[in-house]
Amino acid sequence: MGNSSSCGCGTTFSANTVTAADAPSYMHRVNRLKARVLATRPEMDLENARILTESFIETAGLPHVLQKAKAFYRQCTEKTIFIQDDELIVGCSGSKIRGGILCADTCWSVLNDELDTISDRKYDPFYLRPEDRKMFEEVIRPYWQGRSNYEAWLAQIPPDTKDLRDTGMIYINRKAVRGWGETTAGYKKIITRGLKAIKEEIQAEKDKLDLTVPGDYEKDYYLESMLISADGIIALSKRYAALAREMAEKETDTVRRAELETIAETCEHVPEYPARTFREALQSLYIYQICIFMEQNAASYNPGRMDQYLYPYYKADLEAGRLTEEEAQELLDCLWVKFSEPCLFQDAVTAEFAAGYPMFQNVCVGGVDTNGMDAVNDLSYLILQATMDVQLYQPSLSVRYSMAKNPNRFLRKVVELIRLGTGFPAFHNDDEGIKMVMNKGIPLKEAYDWNPCGCVETNLEGRLRHYTALADINLGGIVEFALLDGKNRKSGRYVGARTGDPNKFETFDQFLEAIRGQIRYAVRAVVKGSHVIDEVCMDRPVPALSLSFNECIHRAKDYAWGGAKYNAGNGIILIGIADLINSLEAVRYVVYETKEATMQELLDALDKDFVGYEHLQKLCKESPKYGNDDKNVDGMVGEMYTFIADEIESYQSKFGRMTPGILPVSGNTPFGLEVGALPSGRNAWTPLADGVSPTGGTDFNGPTSVLRSVANIPHGRFVQGTLLNMKVEPQMLSTENGISQMMALLKSMCSLGVFHVQFNVIDQKTLLAAQKKPEEYTGLLVRVAGYTAYFVELGRDVQNEIISRTVQKGISVG
Amino acid sequence: MNKERTGHILRIEYSSIHDGPGLRTVLFLKGCPLRCRWCSTPESHRQRPEHGYRPEKCVGCGKCAALCPQGALRLEEGKIVCDKNLCTECMRCAFHCPKGAYTVYGQEMTVSQALEYVLKDELFFFHSGGGVTLSGGEVTAQADFAVEILRECRRNGIHTAIETSCCADYAEIQKLLPYVNLMMADIKMMDSEKHLQWTGIRGEKILENLCRIDASDYEGEIVIRIPLIPGVNDSDDNLRRTVEFCNDLKKIKGIEVLPYHELGKETYLLLGRDYPMTCTPMSHEKFIERLSYVRAQNPRVPVTSEGE
Repeated sequence: MGNSSSCGCGTTFSANTVTAADAPSYMHRVNRLKARVLATRPEMDLENARILTESFIETAGLPHVLQKAKAFYRQCTEKTIFIQDDELIVGCSGSKIRGGILCADTCWSVLNDELDTISDRKYDPFYLRPEDRKMFEEVIRPYWQGRSNYEAWLAQIPPDTKDLRDTGMIYINRKAVRGWGETTAGYKKIITRGLKAIKEEIQAEKDKLDLTVPGDYEKDYYLESMLISADGIIALSKRYAALAREMAEKETDTVRRAELETIAETCEHVPEYPARTFREALQSLYIYQICIFMEQNAASYNPGRMDQYLYPYYKADLEAGRLTEEEAQELLDCLWVKFSEPCLFQDAVTAEFAAGYPMFQNVCVGGVDTNGMDAVNDLSYLILQATMDVQLYQPSLSVRYSMAKNPNRFLRKVVELIRLGTGFPAFHNDDEGIKMVMNKGIPLKEAYDWNPCGCVETNLEGRLRHYTALADINLGGIVEFALLDGKNRKSGRYVGARTGDPNKFETFDQFLEAIRGQIRYAVRAVVKGSHVIDEVCMDRPVPALSLSFNECIHRAKDYAWGGAKYNAGNGIILIGIADLINSLEAVRYVVYETKEATMQELLDALDKDFVGYEHLQKLCKESPKYGNDDKNVDGMVGEMYTFIADEIESYQSKFGRMTPGILPVSGNTPFGLEVGALPSGRNAWTPLADGVSPTGGTDFNGPTSVLRSVANIPHGRFVQGTLLNMKVEPQMLSTENGISQMMALLKSMCSLGVFHVQFNVIDQKTLLAAQKKPEEYTGLLVRVAGYTAYFVELGRDVQNEIISRTVQKGISVG
Repeated sequence: MNKERTGHILRIEYSSIHDGPGLRTVLFLKGCPLRCRWCSTPESHRQRPEHGYRPEKCVGCGKCAALCPQGALRLEEGKIVCDKNLCTECMRCAFHCPKGAYTVYGQEMTVSQALEYVLKDELFFFHSGGGVTLSGGEVTAQADFAVEILRECRRNGIHTAIETSCCADYAEIQKLLPYVNLMMADIKMMDSEKHLQWTGIRGEKILENLCRIDASDYEGEIVIRIPLIPGVNDSDDNLRRTVEFCNDLKKIKGIEVLPYHELGKETYLLLGRDYPMTCTPMSHEKFIERLSYVRAQNPRVPVTSEGE
């Protein structure tokens, strides 16, 4: 693997443009829209924060949620709006595209800490204009000092949680530095019912209240805040309508004038009223999307199963002759570019853990419907095609593949998309996803309707609340703690559990018990932190988001307070799966089985980062490794990850049982920087393995062995998802035979119960990288009929020969 | 109890899409009677395990030379020189080298060990219509070992294929036939003298074996493979005669043309041997032209190529 981007959902930004001569004519517009996004440098956008602050000053004394709703309304009615050339779908949560929105109430201080560096920090810089900085210092900061969620968290973080965080053994700040996200709003409700009807629903609940009854006053002002938020969204859309009309009047080009008039009619009608057409449905969805992002800057507001809830509109338009397939494609493509316009603003450290301004707006196609039947329809194909056309980093495109129910034609189209090498789609095994959602306590009928969320987490539209990825645990650090009796190597501080001097461990089982002890300790610390964050977040109501959740309205209870139909405990994420297993196996093999080295020798070697201990490092590296379908290693995988799932699930929160997951986004890189040399043979301060993937260069038997090893993780129990990155040979995808075999491979993966996979196509770039860093690509095979060799073991001239051949057919590298 | 039969395996490759239908597990058996000068896997020639040595990885620590029980290794100017006459391929050098400068080619394995590897990918065979392929070296050179593996695979419902030069006594080939679904056999050239010159062995026996297989009660399919070697067997005459020969085979299902490549050059160096081939690889255009020529000879089965 050895590639730095661990999660294709957010890290690649392709400048590829579809320019084929036979490209459909709408691609000209799409390419122009796309070029504008690519040419725009991300900037801090503080207009929303200024309006929020001014409104909060003005509404002092009101309940917090009402203040929040009124501020949101003012943002909707006062913010800068614009319609850009060529656009068919309009809207922007900020005052400019690719702006970083600051939600001052959540985390003003994040910007404060980075005022001098934000413009050119290493990961995800945002240009900060001097006048914006001045306004921040004069208006925003003075008001919010001492009032933000982030400050509340910093004041309340438990001491052991803090120690582990400060030494990079856990990462837990994420939810305190940005808003909710990690949710799938009730888009379908917005589109099909419209806000006017939703307001009536809210009003009806309000009318039932009796303000002399204890508790009803709180409900009353909460429902009022929902009404205000709904009015804000309607007002914003009408402003776009007015602007479009104004622009249409001045427009000299008749074609564009007609387009602007249609935009005006569309925005006049939705989202206030139910959408009548496919276009109105898309526009309604997008206006709501920018509004909930505006309410709280956060990653992972997931449009979810668009091929399901938009299909009736598409079908009706087609049947009525209002729309052609090509026009529908153009509209979808235009929306796809819109999804790439916003940029997630987060602090420098969080950005390291998820680099690439990752919005994680996860769109999903395929799977089964609520009757458990094949859900693939014509729109599923159009959505896959939109990602093939646009090739931008958003939306994150996921496939739910039901082997039993989805047709081969669908799987083939998925393989065609994989072939483009963009890392999309994230391929999900539908049956495992359904299991995961059921394991969150959701009945089967509704679990059929699950959708991938963010990276590979699981979600349910308009019904489920939790943080899917609250905190990450560094499993490399866990190994280090067990070897150093709770000491963090980098800082020299004892911050882990005291599990004893490993020299005194007479058996491998004693070492294993020390590892378990460290895991128990870290999980406890994260759970304590999670409970604090749950409390802090009670002060982070989101009425605009909540109004698309039926139960939030009927219970008059915000999403933040547990108003959704289902609530689950927050997600605890493991990073360094392969590092833990490979280190355990190396200790077993080297110290206890072959006795080639003593524990003390191993400890000395690790302390010196193997310098002067090269033979021992070689032994460590030659120890059995995860990813090769080795019975012993895979037995350990099953045992360890069952233990970890048991451990996490043994804790409850006020919202439900805690939930495990395995997804690194890019967190395996910063975590690796905090971990010294490991018994696996990994050198100090280098990245950990990503997701459930084997460590780069340690899997030697090709994709079937990787899948069989990975299948030993009890995927269905890691309900926040498991992420697998795999290499794919170009040959696999360039011939008819190869495509068929790829489809068979994906079906086999589903039979094995592996949850997710995404593919990196081995192109010339990969091979050049392998020439530069051979140690990360030791497992890379070159295959020709009758000839197989490891790429990095070949001489330079043969390597070059292969690199030049990868553009042709007849050779494959994997 | 009888000692279980063992064989020499060069390597096992999983999920291959080049060696028969579907995703296949390929067992490369070590040892081959031919010495084709264009061979890209010289490490498959001898049946016994042997070692390769990579001077660029060697730091000249001399540890291996000190450990060698035969005294076959000596350090010269910081690199190791091996006296192949003394070396017994005990592999002590390879195990103890701290830099991984040695590569071990080949491993002795029992039938049940080999089968364990094959059965791992059963599920992938099921979904892809794949199976096991025994390749080489030369599979017929270890016919008794191969038969047992093939028979066990068939008992487990796994599709079986072999890749063979058919350069063996027919009796050895015959042992395999009841357990083979697909035979991929090479025809390198029709002229027996030239065959001797380029591979070290005369060619009649190969063609004769193919005819006997075709006339036998073998129930599987035959695919003929032609490795296209520039200046050796790519003449109009040879290709025309090859197709004519193929057209007479009743069990033939296809002809596959393989492009020549020099990727195995490296391995000769590691084994301390000279690369015996001097021709330059064919251009892609030329290859396509030769392929068209084959197709123009009215073969009665499809002609395919990965190099296309």
